[in-house]
Amino acid sequence: MSSTHTSPPTANRRLETFSYDDQIVKSFVIATVLWGAVAILLGVVIAFQLAEWRLNFGVPWLTFGRLRPLHTNAAIFAFCGNAIFAGIYYSHQRLCKARLFSDLLSRIHFWGWQVIIVLAAVTLPFGITTGKEYAELEWPIDLLITTIWVVFAVNFFGTLVRRRERHIYVAIWFYIATIVTVAVLHIVNSMELPVTLLKSYSLYSGVQDALVQWWYGHNAVAFFLTTPFLGLMYYFIPKAANRPVYWYRLSIIHFWSLVFIYIWAGPHHLLYTTLPEWAQTLGMVFSIALWMPSWGGMINGLMTLRGVWDKVRTEPGLRFMATSLTFYGMATFEGPLLSIKSVNAIAHFTDWIPGHVHSGTIGWNYMMIAGVLFYLVPKLWNSELYSKKLANLQFWFATIGLVFYIVSMWVAGITQSLMWRAMDDAGRLIYPNFIETVVKIVPMYWVRAIGGTLVLVSFFLMIYNLYMTAKRGKKRGVEVYESYALDDSSLEPGASSHRKLEGLPMVFSVLSVVAILVGSAIEIVPSLMAKNYIVKMDVVRPYTPLELYGRDIYIREGCYTCHSQTVRPMTHEVLRYGKPSEAAEFVYDHPFQWGSKRTGPDLARAGGKYPHMWHYKHFYDPRAVTAGSIMPRYTWLFDNKIDYSTLSKKLAVMKKLGVPYATEEITNAVAIAQAQAAEISKELVENGVPAKIEQMEVVALISYMQRLGVDYGQLPETPVELPSTEVK
Amino acid sequence: MSNNPHDPNSKLDVKDDEKHLLLDHSYDGIQELNHPLPSWWNAIFYTCCAFATGYFVYYQFLGGATLRQEFTQSYAKVLVAQAEFKKANSAFNQEHYQAIVADGGVKKGAMVYEVNCEACHSEKGKGDIGPNLTDDHWLLAKGTPGTVYNVVFNGSEENGMPAWAELLAKDEIYQAVAYVASLKNTFAKGGKEPQGEKVIETSETVVEK
Repeated sequence: MSSTHTSPPTANRRLETFSYDDQIVKSFVIATVLWGAVAILLGVVIAFQLAEWRLNFGVPWLTFGRLRPLHTNAAIFAFCGNAIFAGIYYSHQRLCKARLFSDLLSRIHFWGWQVIIVLAAVTLPFGITTGKEYAELEWPIDLLITTIWVVFAVNFFGTLVRRRERHIYVAIWFYIATIVTVAVLHIVNSMELPVTLLKSYSLYSGVQDALVQWWYGHNAVAFFLTTPFLGLMYYFIPKAANRPVYWYRLSIIHFWSLVFIYIWAGPHHLLYTTLPEWAQTLGMVFSIALWMPSWGGMINGLMTLRGVWDKVRTEPGLRFMATSLTFYGMATFEGPLLSIKSVNAIAHFTDWIPGHVHSGTIGWNYMMIAGVLFYLVPKLWNSELYSKKLANLQFWFATIGLVFYIVSMWVAGITQSLMWRAMDDAGRLIYPNFIETVVKIVPMYWVRAIGGTLVLVSFFLMIYNLYMTAKRGKKRGVEVYESYALDDSSLEPGASSHRKLEGLPMVFSVLSVVAILVGSAIEIVPSLMAKNYIVKMDVVRPYTPLELYGRDIYIREGCYTCHSQTVRPMTHEVLRYGKPSEAAEFVYDHPFQWGSKRTGPDLARAGGKYPHMWHYKHFYDPRAVTAGSIMPRYTWLFDNKIDYSTLSKKLAVMKKLGVPYATEEITNAVAIAQAQAAEISKELVENGVPAKIEQMEVVALISYMQRLGVDYGQLPETPVELPSTEVK
Repeated sequence: MSNNPHDPNSKLDVKDDEKHLLLDHSYDGIQELNHPLPSWWNAIFYTCCAFATGYFVYYQFLGGATLRQEFTQSYAKVLVAQAEFKKANSAFNQEHYQAIVADGGVKKGAMVYEVNCEACHSEKGKGDIGPNLTDDHWLLAKGTPGTVYNVVFNGSEENGMPAWAELLAKDEIYQAVAYVASLKNTFAKGGKEPQGEKVIETSETVVEK
């Protein structure tokens, strides 16, 4: 087979023969379906755990708080990650008319990534976590991720250098943006100081940590779940439909506006927190500006199907891809909507958010992956799709399951939010007991879990269908292609400046980096540089050694997956939880633990609210003090002894990070901690608890709970000034 | 295979009305049409950008209320409403209490108790984190509805008792008091050991002094 160019051939052109490395694509395809099944299965498990707490089984590594990070990491980095690599490696070679730069790097990339996933699977359930959402993996794994990502980048850009096609197609633009941005995000957000091989503390604290984390978290969605998928869409939809892309010009505009604007929108995860308001406002307005750039991808993909809509009905791959684009459109409309402060005030911390997230991850990512796989597997295994009927069945299971998910979470989220804020004429909450608002939405958790199960069934149908497709494949030799080496004949004098840029991938890459660094620099740099970004309060003191230990248990158990630690300046929230949080309260929090979801109540001011005995009973069996609670039992905290061996080291690392611990405090950390444990145990023992409780982890966790928010929270209330002038 | 757009063998499905828009580029057989940007897309994009700019300028530079200012306003109103409620209801109203009792207050109070009080005082007032309510010893109240009302209404920070005036409606407080009053001296089995002082004289007049 040959590939001719539109320009007339010149005498000195060099015709080269080459083949593509499709073996590596096959490997990534297999990894995609395997990890996809694991990720969705985990999702279904934790969905049922929210509906029925007994399904936590009282086993530490099976509890929601530990499995939820595993689910998110598996879905994003294992399932979507492998799919991205499969799709990119397949299309990149063909768009460059060049074999991947290095077969060895490809293999290192593949096996390295699988090792990372396995390491995630063996660390997260055992509570080895940094406690930063979507970046939970501990520092040695972070280093490995960095290494493997660099391998991927070298392989990708090396291929670009050796390309035989002068201009780079829009899919490659999106791949470039993905690779450079994910590298920046991962490195900046994963800055941490190790305590041991399996424990580290974030370099940043409180507000700064929150800002960096959500700049990362938001853009992980943007540059891991959006841009690479748009790239795949731009390759696989035109290929599968045999149609030209509808808007060349739109692809330019929406690409650049998307990568430039997306990076600014992170602070919309931190509205109403103690993040400076200018940053919050930037997060909101850039999210609104992002609506059309996102939709640019959707409409370009859908219009590419112009005139061939009958194929969407008959070709399962196209059907999945077209549906994927519509869910993408829905999610990217809902996103800006949720970023509007007053809408966010209602939706944030509720189930509306997981609903929104899953319309993206199931609707957009899973369906796009399914579409890509239905294109790739028959091609790679030289076969034909085993069963269109099965694919259609899969489609309906997935779609109906997803609709169950989204609608139930809308209902749950809005119901709970309205209950949280309901007040009577006398200025009291109508539902002061948080549990009332939980019990109300548990039926919706069942609906969601059933929806998730349908999605899981759909996935198994796909695996079977793809397996049978591959099994029926016929062996064939390596296909050899021919193309001219890159030479002057493909230069286009007089082309538009963007067209010229498309011929200069390295310049293109640099410009992409610039585009994402502008927003990053303006939002992040002030927070990291300015000393008076946060006005410190003397009353806020570092955690005692025992409290710090307790905090690490809080992180280990993934408490932040269900509890927030930030009181927003809203009347109903202040009535329920206490004074609004202040930035200075979090300066010693490495990492911050504000959370993003309130399945249980906020804990920012939990300290001193209940006696020690209440916490003791609550951790042993939450139902003993809160009827109807859906929280798991934490019985192992009553059997695990506190491990004091690294406590001094922990304080020393904290001191390096700027937490003002005195030297004596560090050297005597264990004695200080034991004294505090004894004091807490005294009250417990008075209530009939055996004295050995003093050595157990639960005491450390109680000490942390009792410290939460009290430093500033116990200051006398400043009298509220009645505003004399009307505020606009 | 050839990717030449003018190649009759090309599999590409190009409609007649868009042939003139087909660009020369071809990547692995993928070609692009050069349609003009959709006007509605442009219009919404620029509108969003204009709104974004205007919003930012207004709230950042032209004195738009900050979230804290908005909060302070609405919170002040709530504090006034709460203060008015406290002022109007801090004194125990015997007549209202009797009306509540006559209206099945003890039974209704049991439900209020179950949701709000049981976590600390255990079922049927046996006492747990909070004191036993079924014996004849009292820590803060003196066992009469009036004194119990006072403790429930105002709470006691020292003893970890919340001020329920901030949480419960007026009638709910009265109902809870009616229920607690009904538990007095029932000496529930398995109850917590007595705390506070033994109250022998339980006539209203003595306690209300």
